[in-house]
Amino acid sequence: MITYVYYPGCVAQESGKELDNATKFIAEKLGINLLQMPEASCCGGGIIDGFDANLKLFINGRTLALAEKNGFDILTICNTCTLTLSEVNEEIKNNPALMKKTNAYLSKIRLKYEGNVKVKHLLYVLRDDIGLDKLKDVVVNSLNGIKVAPFYGCHILRPSEVIKFDDAENPSGFEELIKAVGGEPVSYVRRTKCCGFQTILIDEASSTSLSGNAIFEAQEQGADLMVTPCPLCHLSLDTYQNVAAKSIGKKLSLPVLHLPQLIGVALGGSYSEMGFSRHNVSLKPVMANINLK
Amino acid sequence: MEFTVRSYRFNPEVDKQPYYKDYILNGFPSMTVLNALMKIKSETDGSLTFRRSCRSAICGSCAMKINGISKLACKTQVNSEITKFGIIKVEPLGNLPVVRDLVVEQESFFGKINEIKPYLLGIRENSPDEKFHVLKDGEKITQPVFHKSEFKALTGNNDTPNCILCECCFSECGTEVVNKKYLGPAALAKLYRYIEDPRDNDRDGSRLVNASKPNGIWDCVHCQACEQFCPKSISPVKSIVKLHEKAIKNSITFSKGAKHIIGIANSINKTGRLNEVKVAIDTVGLLGLMNDLPVVFRASLKGKIPSLKLKLIKDMDDIRLAFKELDREEE
Ligand code: FES
Repeated sequence: MITYVYYPGCVAQESGKELDNATKFIAEKLGINLLQMPEASCCGGGIIDGFDANLKLFINGRTLALAEKNGFDILTICNTCTLTLSEVNEEIKNNPALMKKTNAYLSKIRLKYEGNVKVKHLLYVLRDDIGLDKLKDVVVNSLNGIKVAPFYGCHILRPSEVIKFDDAENPSGFEELIKAVGGEPVSYVRRTKCCGFQTILIDEASSTSLSGNAIFEAQEQGADLMVTPCPLCHLSLDTYQNVAAKSIGKKLSLPVLHLPQLIGVALGGSYSEMGFSRHNVSLKPVMANINLK
Repeated sequence: MEFTVRSYRFNPEVDKQPYYKDYILNGFPSMTVLNALMKIKSETDGSLTFRRSCRSAICGSCAMKINGISKLACKTQVNSEITKFGIIKVEPLGNLPVVRDLVVEQESFFGKINEIKPYLLGIRENSPDEKFHVLKDGEKITQPVFHKSEFKALTGNNDTPNCILCECCFSECGTEVVNKKYLGPAALAKLYRYIEDPRDNDRDGSRLVNASKPNGIWDCVHCQACEQFCPKSISPVKSIVKLHEKAIKNSITFSKGAKHIIGIANSINKTGRLNEVKVAIDTVGLLGLMNDLPVVFRASLKGKIPSLKLKLIKDMDDIRLAFKELDREEE
């Protein structure tokens, strides 16, 4: 049993509940203990420093301090939460003035942060802490060489000064996981590009063209499925897929899975356990290929 | 060491479409990609076209895509690329039209730099005797001249003055791919540099107001590519975020982007969480949401519409206190 403080982030607790459920499903199968932290707040959606840089520091410093008090590293399932928490963690650890400022606030709420927590995204917890061999051992429903397009997105790779899980120029962790559960990773250029989510409410046509371009390219490369480690990317890629199709003037129809859903299927998860009925693009056409019940 | 350089080739005068050509090279250790290209040009194929000048990462001419990523050819070692990718694949920068082979047209990039008025505003522009002019013998510059370190001490801005206008960030920019009118990371970082300059006399806040219009600071997708791939370690995205903060603190909040961030802050202040529905309404208004009715409708069929009223996080008072602390920091 390996324990983490679980930080699902806001979207996975609301519109993306299926991600939270799938994470808990695979955690149980893999012997990962997810410690709940009901005090944790929103990280600020990756843009809260545009409102006030200190607010980003305080609310995320608080989350880090809560995890430190619990004595475990943080497990995240959202790229943007991962980057925001990691940025604040690095800033506090490397800048004594910011450490002091954050702790001045924390002391008023009876907390203290000393910089001992690591922030880890599920993708790299699976690769590094659980290990690909252990993962292979528990696969009961190998994915039969189905073609899976990994969509990394941005905040799990960049900036690599802060996010050091993988090679930002040519990452491989996602592909390794896909292979470990029996899928065949599809190679395409836009796997590390932006899904456009941050401006979806600001300039929808441009934003959804980004997700549309990525989906179209993956389709052209023969992908049966796309998988993403981020619920914000998932909103752009799945929920807005029809809009994206219109924005780029192409036909799009590619089911998009959350990372733990892909792993979950390989670990024997069913259609309802994985919450696939909540997806916009139906998984029905590919269900037979992946032995999904 | 033998290796292959695969170059994008396109001469619009003779080629119907672009193609790639391979050159096998015998290189020396610690050769740069630019060395390799110059060797090809002088020994094998004089028609291969690319820009270069300083060969020491300071003029910004030799930016191109190397194995898919925008880099300075003169700052990139052949060795490390071969180790990682097994080949040196060179292509012109992205987001700019190709003139020939590895050379791109730069007008749109520099047009955007000009658009942000990359010079100090104020009296020197308006007053007849203070107009820009060549200094006469013995005449002194009337405004203080800062050394880079003084500028840093005054403004906290230590990176944007180092920009060499190489266009790597522009080439990698997520927004630029889909919105050709977007000002782009280099121009916006430069804008930040002028806004922070204590000598700049932008009395009516026109810089921030203009930058808050569509295609400006609020169109950044925060993909972090500009910071990741800047060969001079500049972070345009951090400058853009500072411009966001400055706009909001100066009540320049007419843009959807500003409303979006304020909506998120309000939601955190109320519940500790991000209320997806409320933030969307705060950003585009109920009317704006009507445009997305098909998305909303489909999502509601799937049970994906988030709750309008969220449960408060535990110890919500902590978060309220954080907001109060912000006001204290301001004072
Ligand atoms: S030749 Fe000047 S930057 Fe490379």
